[in-house]
Amino acid sequence: MLALLMLNILAYMTPNPDKTQIIIHLLSVISQNSAGQFFSSGHTNNWAVLVCTSRFWFNYRHVANTLSVYRSVKRLGIPDSHIVLMLADDMACNHRNPKPATVFSHKNMELNVYGDDVEVDYRGYEVTVENFLRVLTGRLPPSTPRSKRLLSDDRSNILIYLTGHGGNGFLKFQDSEEISNVELADAFEQMWQKRRYNELLFIIDTCQGASMYERFYSPNIMALASSQVGEDSLSHQPDLAIGVHLMDRYTFYMLEFLEDIHPASKTNMNDLFKVCPKSQCVSTPGHRTDLFLRDPGSVLITDFFGSVRKVELTMDAINLTDPIKQMEENPVNGEEQKEVYSYADQLPVSEIIHQKPKQKDWHPPDGFILGLWTLILLVFFKTYGIKHLKHIF
Amino acid sequence: MAAPLTLLLIVAVTIRAALFRSSLAELIAERVEVVSPITAWKRVVEGLALLDLGVSPYSGDVFHETPLIIYMFHFLVDYAEITFMVSLNKNIILKHFVVEFRKQKFALEADRYPMDSLELIRSPKEMYYIPLKVAMFYLLNPFTILSCVAKSTCGLNNAVLALFFLSTIKGNVLLSAIFLCLATYQSIYPITLCAPAMLYFMQRQYIPVNFRRVSFWWFIVQYLFMYLGSLFVLICLSFFLLGSWDYLPSVYGFILSVPDLTPNIGLFWYFFAEMFEHFRLFFLCVFQINVFFYTIPLSIKLKEHPVFLMFMQLAVISIFKSYPTVGDVALYLAFLPVWSHLHRFLRNIFLVSCVLLACSVLFPVLWHLWIYAGSANSNFYYAITLLFNVAQILLVSDYFYAFLRREHHLTNGLYLKRKDGSEATLILK
Repeated sequence: MLALLMLNILAYMTPNPDKTQIIIHLLSVISQNSAGQFFSSGHTNNWAVLVCTSRFWFNYRHVANTLSVYRSVKRLGIPDSHIVLMLADDMACNHRNPKPATVFSHKNMELNVYGDDVEVDYRGYEVTVENFLRVLTGRLPPSTPRSKRLLSDDRSNILIYLTGHGGNGFLKFQDSEEISNVELADAFEQMWQKRRYNELLFIIDTCQGASMYERFYSPNIMALASSQVGEDSLSHQPDLAIGVHLMDRYTFYMLEFLEDIHPASKTNMNDLFKVCPKSQCVSTPGHRTDLFLRDPGSVLITDFFGSVRKVELTMDAINLTDPIKQMEENPVNGEEQKEVYSYADQLPVSEIIHQKPKQKDWHPPDGFILGLWTLILLVFFKTYGIKHLKHIF
Repeated sequence: MAAPLTLLLIVAVTIRAALFRSSLAELIAERVEVVSPITAWKRVVEGLALLDLGVSPYSGDVFHETPLIIYMFHFLVDYAEITFMVSLNKNIILKHFVVEFRKQKFALEADRYPMDSLELIRSPKEMYYIPLKVAMFYLLNPFTILSCVAKSTCGLNNAVLALFFLSTIKGNVLLSAIFLCLATYQSIYPITLCAPAMLYFMQRQYIPVNFRRVSFWWFIVQYLFMYLGSLFVLICLSFFLLGSWDYLPSVYGFILSVPDLTPNIGLFWYFFAEMFEHFRLFFLCVFQINVFFYTIPLSIKLKEHPVFLMFMQLAVISIFKSYPTVGDVALYLAFLPVWSHLHRFLRNIFLVSCVLLACSVLFPVLWHLWIYAGSANSNFYYAITLLFNVAQILLVSDYFYAFLRREHHLTNGLYLKRKDGSEATLILK
């Protein structure tokens, strides 16, 4: 950027047309390099899927967790059209809420995460395992509105945040069903195969959350969890006016961390891994980066939590190379060689279906036949007397 | 006697051949009332196909037939229809002979009874047509026709049982033990027919049924030795067919532990479908003991009438076995004409026949409503099953009552009088 500026200044300062030519040439070269740099992080758009899976008033904190992450993500630039927010229950307008139309994340009501512009896409009973998996994999009925779809492509970075009650290997939805870690891993694999993400950041704040990312096997997934297997994630603090716990510890400290991030931050994932150490969280947060291709230290927080568009100004036209190359003309032969492709047989069909007489036939063992007929003959002669034997011999 | 029998055979074979060639054959072969997981022809074909692919047919839950059936059908699978018809006809001929030999028994008893009960004794003239009636009852019974067209191996089981009857009545101890052993080898329940067979032989050989007599115990030991010996030989021989003991849990374990709960006309499926796992073993034992339990009291009561005991046992097996089909029902229904002299004492025959007919018609209707239309549920089908079994039990108990009453009349005269000369009636308490 600085180089460009300097060159620009230089270009205006020198009236010589030849020098201008050279400088323009240099500029274009540099632009081409930054074009490469422009796409170095690999993603062009950001999506977020934020799910709260618990209902009932005493699970207020899960809704507050999800709404806090929603708030951060929106503040950092991801628009509502790219956020799929699933809340299993309505806390703001719950009749037990002494402060209606608000969801607070900190006692003393410092932060209302339920503002005027919260757009909930899946609400109440629509938050089911089936709907969640359908959103992830994209297999929704044609009548589903755009706001309920995850329209990501292979250059999307997706943030997936789950919170609720969980256990070793499962997450409970709506107090009636569960999603297992295997299902989730398979859903992510489907997403990978369908090229629905470039990189995925998976954050889960439940008890024994680390068990949910144990089974992932698709590339480019980074996962964070609030507690290891065998540990419970604890809630932060109750508010005596509202009467319930407002947030979970891990998300509370993560929210504090995210409040310091702005769209131009260069904070990377290693800092996120350090959020909420055991002294603050009581449980041990875990993370998994073995499936992720880039080094976590080079991954910016805003790669997932924000929607940072790189904009570079240029005053000159950039010459794009002609992408269309002419195919070499194949000499037209008398006979065209065509490679015939066919599917390989999955099953040895010709061996199973007998099109000719059976090759392998089963015969009863000789000992059996011998034994059986000896017995039959014995019985026959015992019944009808030995005298019949003379007819045979 | 030969001519009407031949005619009957021709008619029966024609009906079956016509049905075999029609499109109804596949339809019938799938009906759960006619085939059970033990007797289905589809499973036999699957088992043989698995064998040709080099896999043991007992792996998985497909095939539950004994190795001897494998051996038999290995060579006969292309001629299945003829096999079944042949076994059927053999069945008839055997029953025919059985009944003829029964006639002789009555001649023995004729002189023992007081005069006025003579009309209760059947004359040989009346009994002349009984074999034909038995043949007719079996061949033209819709249950047997369905069972044969479905190619269910129930027909083979029935044939073995008929062979057992024939050899027992003819007096051949060894053959009777061997055929009973074959029948038990196929499905476990005919073991209860040991008791009537032994009683019959003891009666024939004039061995008194007295626990203190040595000859009684000696005969029992002989018979059981032959029976158990042949069973042992058969089981070992079956081991050599496939070289493994896989068939034991697949055949006998399957019959005894009832893992397959496909609805059929029996009583097991509904009960075990809704039962908690914790109690399963207990109720399994209860249900299985129920089949074997009636042997002892019945044999004590009917120790002078082993043939009727055989009929009762057969009926009990057909009703209470774990996977009954209509073929089993047809077997004991075929023997009803043998006791046609009891008709005057039967009390519920109209009710029973109406219920049996109605249930037979309602089975496919309610099945369709449950499975295809979705407007009924399993309770409907189970109700009809219950009703069918209740009707069968009523039939059997009615015949039992009639038999006992006839015996009473034989010893005490037909027109009972009280001490003061007025007419008395007999009440069953």
